[in-house]
Amino acid sequence: MVDQLPNRGREAEMLSAMGYASMDDLFSDVPVDVRMNEDLPLRGPQTEEEIIADARRLLGANVPLGTMASFIGAGLYRNHVPAAVFQLVTRGEFLTAYTPYQAEVSQGMLQAMWEFQGLISELVGLPVANLSVYDGSSAAAESITCAVRVHGRKATQKGVVYISEMVPPDRWSVIHNYTQGGGIELRKLRHLADGTLDPASVAEAAGSCAVYVEQPNPLGLLDGSLTGVKDIVGEHTAFIVGVNPVSLGLYEAPGHYGADIVVGEGQPFGSPMTAGGPIYGIFACSKAYMRQMPGRIVGRTIDEDEQTAYCLTLSTREQHIRRHRATSNLCTNETLIALMGAMHMSLLGPEGVRNLAVRNAAALHAVVQALNGVDGVEFVHPSGHHFNEIAVQLPGPAADCIEALEAHGVLPGFDLGRWSEDRTNQLLVTATDQTRPEEIERLATAMAAWCAEVVA
Amino acid sequence: MNNLWDFTGAKGSGYAQPAPLVPESELTFATSLLRKDAPRWPRLSEPEMVRHYTNLSRRNFGIDTGFYPLGSCTMKHNPRVNEVIAQMPGICDIHPHQPEHHLQGLLAIFHEMQHMLAVCAGMDAVTLQPVAGAQGEFTAVRCIQEYFRERGEAQRTRIVVPDSAHGTNPASAAMAGFEIVEVPSTEDGRIDLQALEAVLDDTIAAMMITNPNTLGLFETDIAAASELVHGVGGQMYYDGANFNAIIGRTSPGLMGFDAVHYNLHKTFSQPHGGGGPGSGPIGVKAHLAPFLPGPVVDVREAEEGERTVELGRWFHWREPEHSIGKVQQWHGNAGAVLRCWAFYRRYGRDLRTMSEHAVLNANYLRHAIHHEAKEAGVDHLFVDGARTDVAKHEFTLSMQPAKEAVGVTAMDIAKGLLDLGYMAPTVYFPLVVPECLMIEPTETEAKDTLDQFAKDFVAVVGTDPATLHAAPVTTPVRRVDEVYAARNLCLRVPEEDL
Repeated sequence: MVDQLPNRGREAEMLSAMGYASMDDLFSDVPVDVRMNEDLPLRGPQTEEEIIADARRLLGANVPLGTMASFIGAGLYRNHVPAAVFQLVTRGEFLTAYTPYQAEVSQGMLQAMWEFQGLISELVGLPVANLSVYDGSSAAAESITCAVRVHGRKATQKGVVYISEMVPPDRWSVIHNYTQGGGIELRKLRHLADGTLDPASVAEAAGSCAVYVEQPNPLGLLDGSLTGVKDIVGEHTAFIVGVNPVSLGLYEAPGHYGADIVVGEGQPFGSPMTAGGPIYGIFACSKAYMRQMPGRIVGRTIDEDEQTAYCLTLSTREQHIRRHRATSNLCTNETLIALMGAMHMSLLGPEGVRNLAVRNAAALHAVVQALNGVDGVEFVHPSGHHFNEIAVQLPGPAADCIEALEAHGVLPGFDLGRWSEDRTNQLLVTATDQTRPEEIERLATAMAAWCAEVVA
Repeated sequence: MNNLWDFTGAKGSGYAQPAPLVPESELTFATSLLRKDAPRWPRLSEPEMVRHYTNLSRRNFGIDTGFYPLGSCTMKHNPRVNEVIAQMPGICDIHPHQPEHHLQGLLAIFHEMQHMLAVCAGMDAVTLQPVAGAQGEFTAVRCIQEYFRERGEAQRTRIVVPDSAHGTNPASAAMAGFEIVEVPSTEDGRIDLQALEAVLDDTIAAMMITNPNTLGLFETDIAAASELVHGVGGQMYYDGANFNAIIGRTSPGLMGFDAVHYNLHKTFSQPHGGGGPGSGPIGVKAHLAPFLPGPVVDVREAEEGERTVELGRWFHWREPEHSIGKVQQWHGNAGAVLRCWAFYRRYGRDLRTMSEHAVLNANYLRHAIHHEAKEAGVDHLFVDGARTDVAKHEFTLSMQPAKEAVGVTAMDIAKGLLDLGYMAPTVYFPLVVPECLMIEPTETEAKDTLDQFAKDFVAVVGTDPATLHAAPVTTPVRRVDEVYAARNLCLRVPEEDL
């Protein structure tokens, strides 16, 4: 018996008030030939207690990363979300609100999102940030269509966009789906053997609508040459940088070295990995792109009594007004997760975010030191500086390594063979602020044993 | 009240962290890239931060605060056990690229949800990957596009939408590269079959439509519309925003649809969180299934040694044969799907009863409002947005008579309701109804709440225009100046406040 329907038992009373005899009368407008006459072939209802028991059993059969020594990342990162964040975000006033259409009774969320925009703006070094898009990959895709709308006319390479060839195939696929309808041609921006951008390829991209590159790149490599990209491509080509936001506690904001749009996966601030969602995408840009950006944005304004107030603004870009001429179909976004991000950032403050970035850098440093001593393991880009993760060359397939190390309670990383056939013997090893010294020891010991076995 | 930048604590006053694994002095950095100036973030201690966000929450209105009859948004109660489950480490601390044997519980839940959604909509296959309704629309339209390319019918470059459609329909189709053909509705707000037939030819890829439509009316000619569109080789797309009205009574499959998106944050109670996260799975008939984004979850017989969560069944990812690729990098909003799984388990096959109560409440409220208005002598100030005997899960009222008689608009009524502690209905949508209020009570509101709202609504309608023009007066701020916001753009903390 379902316990969520307050009017159960009052159906007859309510129907007769309207002059109806049965529930069927309310569905008399459904033509006979499309009616469903049988019960739904589904299970019966459960009580809360039964649901919890089943959830415990099923979710208990999953293997949380905290139960292993885990070094998997590749775009999502283990973090610690401060306890206050979870406590606050489940307040019903936030959790159970819809989009703030009625500003007068939505000031709390509107202000929190305006503050979020300010935190992101400061972090990435650009004046405008929206209140989130779905995730890092749709943020990348929407940044490209946005750039094409802005530069379509003046670009000499019409409709052409250059995307770093390091972008993983899954993200590339999202970008392809979002851009193919607009007649946008995606070309590859090449990297040199040391992992940095090929300046010749960047020069070719001048006059296109946009270049999209990630910092750190998907193999964790930081590329100093990005600071010169905007000068090469010029003012009529958008320079778009995808970031890991935690790295910006330590490393320069792309907006400060010429980026026109900065996007990224916000997850490390405020959200657990949650099997890949809900997470939130960051989207920030300079003023030249503001009126072509996707998604919702909050502005500070005044009310009738000239008190400070907040409301959604620049709405004429959006689908509910512009319909098929809208800048995007985006409406529902990831506001609540962005709110968690804002809460986390506000607790960290300027020094805390630097500390967090240093802890991430230190953890990777410790991993590199430990693996340095393992025979058979080599770093793919030994001369480069990395953040959060590093690619290593193994003496055998990464998939075998992952399988073999499970017996040691170690998940050593992500199999880069899933991104490229050329990389089946490469593993992407990730360390974050949650990585512990004893886990690194276990990784090194188990890896040494496996390598010895493979080499033998 | 204060904003974050009013907090200016001492350096490092916030959240204390453990020391780095290696002292900073021993680390080497990419020095040319080091950040010169820290982000100018505020400094809050935990006590200040907790109070700040608690105070913000008190200036926000949710379903937990009061009745939320926001039409088309299906603001039903969000059962709290769903939140408890969503905090378990078996979901929070999971990486989507873990091997399948680490994820058997999650895959079982996904599989059950794919099955349930397919059954309820009369579809053959489901992907849970799209993370919002609009992304679901876009995904389905992409599948249809690739289906036609595969069949050598690339000339199908146009999509039909009714003029009463949600704005996302044309926006999603346009993003995929389609041209939009808008068809007018009949005077009573339903599909105009003649107008539809007039635009159909072999350049049409699909028609996108929601049923019940945005006026809350069941499209009685839906089967005929499907036949017309199929007749020229087009596909029928069902916008699931209004699915809450019909589960177990009819289905998109029975009406002739080929593809559908579900709004899990409407029908299946994923909390909307002030603007998201949502979840927008899509279901399709067998001929479109090979084009779905991958991977989807499938099941096979378990092999010896495999640790199963269901006897003899092994759940695994499967890439559809002609997949369009991905619309989200991972597996969609898994946490939202999990919450909705818990919601589904609460109802099981009684989802039919859920829909019946949604329709019962909407009709009852409509009836009660008209009844109260007659009693109070204000029934001349509004009319039904569409003439009909029964509504489905929502209904529309037009305040046009009030506007003409006393200068009171739909927005004035909305603001008046805020003063009485209600969320306002959806205003000015659908565009085909002048001065429209769109009201959707959902199945989780008690009769007493509906009775009281009917009385209060009528009281607002009868309030003197001057008072209504000044409303709201009891809310945290008074009427907000959106024009000022657009003319004096302030999208972040100003420099002078840093």
